[in-house]
Amino acid sequence: MAAQPGTRESIRVETSAGGFELPCGGRSRRALACSLVLLMLVTAVPLAGAAVFRVLAARVGEIAGPGFAVHELRVRLDAPAQGGEVDIGRLRIGAREWRALTLRCGRLRIDAGGLACNAARMEQGGRRLPFEADVDLALGAGPVRIALRLPDGGRIEAGTEADGRLRARLHRLTPAAAADLLEPWLGDLAAGLRGFKATGVLDAELDYRPADAGATTASLRGRLAGGGFGRADGLLAAEGVGADFTLEARSTGAVWSWSAQLDWDAGAAYIHPLLVEAGPRLRARGRFDGRRIELERAELALDGLAAASARGVIDTAAGTPDALSIELAGADLARIGPRWLAPLLAPASAQRLRFEGRADARVELRAGRLETLAVELHGAGFGLAPPLGGGSARGDDGKEVVPVEVLALGPVDGRVRWSSRGPGAAALQVGGGRWEKLALGAFALDAALEPAGLRLAGARIPLLDGTLVLQDLALGWSAAGWEGSGGVVLEPVSMPLLSEALGLPLMAGVMSAALPGLQFGPGELVLDGTLAVSVFGGWLQASGLRVREPFGVASHLTAEIEARHIDLAQLTETFSFGSITGHIDADVRGLELSNWRPAAFDARIASIAGDERRRISQRAVENISALGGGGALAAVQRSVLRLFETFGYRELGLRCRLANGVCEMGGLDAEPDGGVRADGGFTIVRGGGIPALDVIGYNRRVDWNELVARLQRVVAEDVSPTID
Amino acid sequence: MKSPSMPSASLTGRVAAVFIGLALAFAVHAQGNLEIDTPAISALRKAMQQRHAQLAPLYASGAVGIAADGTVSLRDAAAVPLAQRAQANAAVAAENADRAALYREIARANGHPEWEGEVRRTFAQRWLDRAQPGWWVQQGASWSRK
Repeated sequence: MAAQPGTRESIRVETSAGGFELPCGGRSRRALACSLVLLMLVTAVPLAGAAVFRVLAARVGEIAGPGFAVHELRVRLDAPAQGGEVDIGRLRIGAREWRALTLRCGRLRIDAGGLACNAARMEQGGRRLPFEADVDLALGAGPVRIALRLPDGGRIEAGTEADGRLRARLHRLTPAAAADLLEPWLGDLAAGLRGFKATGVLDAELDYRPADAGATTASLRGRLAGGGFGRADGLLAAEGVGADFTLEARSTGAVWSWSAQLDWDAGAAYIHPLLVEAGPRLRARGRFDGRRIELERAELALDGLAAASARGVIDTAAGTPDALSIELAGADLARIGPRWLAPLLAPASAQRLRFEGRADARVELRAGRLETLAVELHGAGFGLAPPLGGGSARGDDGKEVVPVEVLALGPVDGRVRWSSRGPGAAALQVGGGRWEKLALGAFALDAALEPAGLRLAGARIPLLDGTLVLQDLALGWSAAGWEGSGGVVLEPVSMPLLSEALGLPLMAGVMSAALPGLQFGPGELVLDGTLAVSVFGGWLQASGLRVREPFGVASHLTAEIEARHIDLAQLTETFSFGSITGHIDADVRGLELSNWRPAAFDARIASIAGDERRRISQRAVENISALGGGGALAAVQRSVLRLFETFGYRELGLRCRLANGVCEMGGLDAEPDGGVRADGGFTIVRGGGIPALDVIGYNRRVDWNELVARLQRVVAEDVSPTID
Repeated sequence: MKSPSMPSASLTGRVAAVFIGLALAFAVHAQGNLEIDTPAISALRKAMQQRHAQLAPLYASGAVGIAADGTVSLRDAAAVPLAQRAQANAAVAAENADRAALYREIARANGHPEWEGEVRRTFAQRWLDRAQPGWWVQQGASWSRK
């Protein structure tokens, strides 16, 4: 501490008879001491007589030390009032400077030991600062103690010892009091505390020992209770946070070694989009050179994780990790998934996702960016529940049952290693899965990973008694989402198993597919190729398959279907529709399924040409008539209908063009040779042989939902519909 | 719903066909059916109706507002108790996913997937008109209470 050359220290004594000034030069702290000694001398002399003087004033030009300077320091002692004032013209701490500080002491005591200014109030620039202070200043290199009492009961005590040790204690410090206190000194920080609506009570102790036995040590320990804050938009907030913290640091040169501990035991925080609740405990140690924090090891105890540790380097200027390596072991996905993964990876489906199993992971960040990610899965499982409104199943008793997941996968075991700088790999064993009602068997996935994509040479996924074979799948990731191409082959699946799995009446035959032109983009799947089903003695093939959003509510499928040589006897028996013999061809053009239900198509059914025995049962006639909207039989025929079990027919034809929920019906008239009737009806079945009867439809526009409901009644109840 | 391909031998014929096609497209466009119903649309509407019970208090408190682009926005998360903020965010994300799917599906059901943006704009105005007094709505870039 050196006084600026040329400054003049003095002590001025004012008495009732006038004033005089005594010089007191030299180094500033000594000058202060000298001034105080002079003050005491002068005070002592006249005490024997009457009060000779009222006021003593000491002026000390400047006190400066590392990082701070006090200019224009004046001390005034008002003897009768036992009070006094300390004026500081300018105070500089670091790069900041404040002017016109005044400490008004309620009681000012100056004696051989030093100066004590108690119950003091402080003003800055004429404005009173919100605390009351006690200052004890020992002479020479003795201790200095300062205590600030805050209006809400908080207290700050700080003191230095002769050996340079600094101790400070914060007692029940609140953010409001801290903001008031900091306002004149660190306006930005005060505004921040207020802007973030900080709450809570802080108790802390700081102990700093310079160069004690060769090393400088510092320790900070304390507790925050009821802590909280909230950014204006609410996306970053905490409430009721209780935490204990300690920080120990030690330095023998320019580099500090430190260790820290944080136990968060109460409250919760929202860090958009994550809710983080009390429980995490952090232990960390490392080094700090003033520019970078080196994290030698950090350990985090978190619910759902067996162990978590990290090491790395954090650039304090940039605030981002230069390099950070995080290891997570024994993550319980059922607990970690919903809380940490779902909100980040799939917020829109977060409430529908299910996780199970365990995972270990290693994450490496460099310059704030993800560089490598290695994950090991142990019996991991994932499921996606149906979307809201996406169809809830009802049990036999009519009560709603827990909906079956639309997609499920697991248990999954294996490793995935991805790097932003080069190739990675995924090797997974999948125990099984399910898509809608289709169960998948166990399969292996071995894929080569790239920084923005993956390649899968092949995979064989068992599907019922067949196999779904993926070939040369290449996926790329862009900002818009995943896209890629490849091929799919479905090796024959038996229709009895498939129809059973899909809850359809039992059908004979097999299904297979060769879809070499698989392409998919964000939300869309294009399957160029053919899906073929041999069924009902004939075959059916679907081409031009396109699926959009296969797992969403708005799933959408388009296809062209043609069916040839379908045996009606098998078909009608399967669907309990009465009995029809003969064969048909069917074409469904522009089929659109929306949410897996028909939204549009143009379908025609026609009996095939050629000689064969064509009979239709009484019940089938009734069913077809009912589907046609009633009134499809002439009265005269109705009486005939009851006399015979089956009838001969020459041909049958039906067309339904579905759009906007309405099926536009037609019969044989849709065929080139026509069948248009004078009464506006359309012929569905043209009789032939003995006995013969025609089935005529009159209702050309039928509500599709009603038609489906009727069809379901006919099939499910297996009873004859009434005929008007 | 595809328009039949027009046989056109000459260039002028083709140009004429394009113009007629455009004119027709606009005529149909003007009559685009927003009330069109498909199984996906009714499923989406049902999902959104079910979710409305969760969102209505959030609209009322101002936590969630009706955004100008046809979505809903978590505009003041501070109005939601801390413990429920993540659920509110998930509900907003799910609602926006359904709304996006609804606009796509309506455009698609009209046979014009390219109308999605138009459908979105029309719906944005409709949501805004239907917002209850006291709800927060966005016009342009600024938010106000209806």
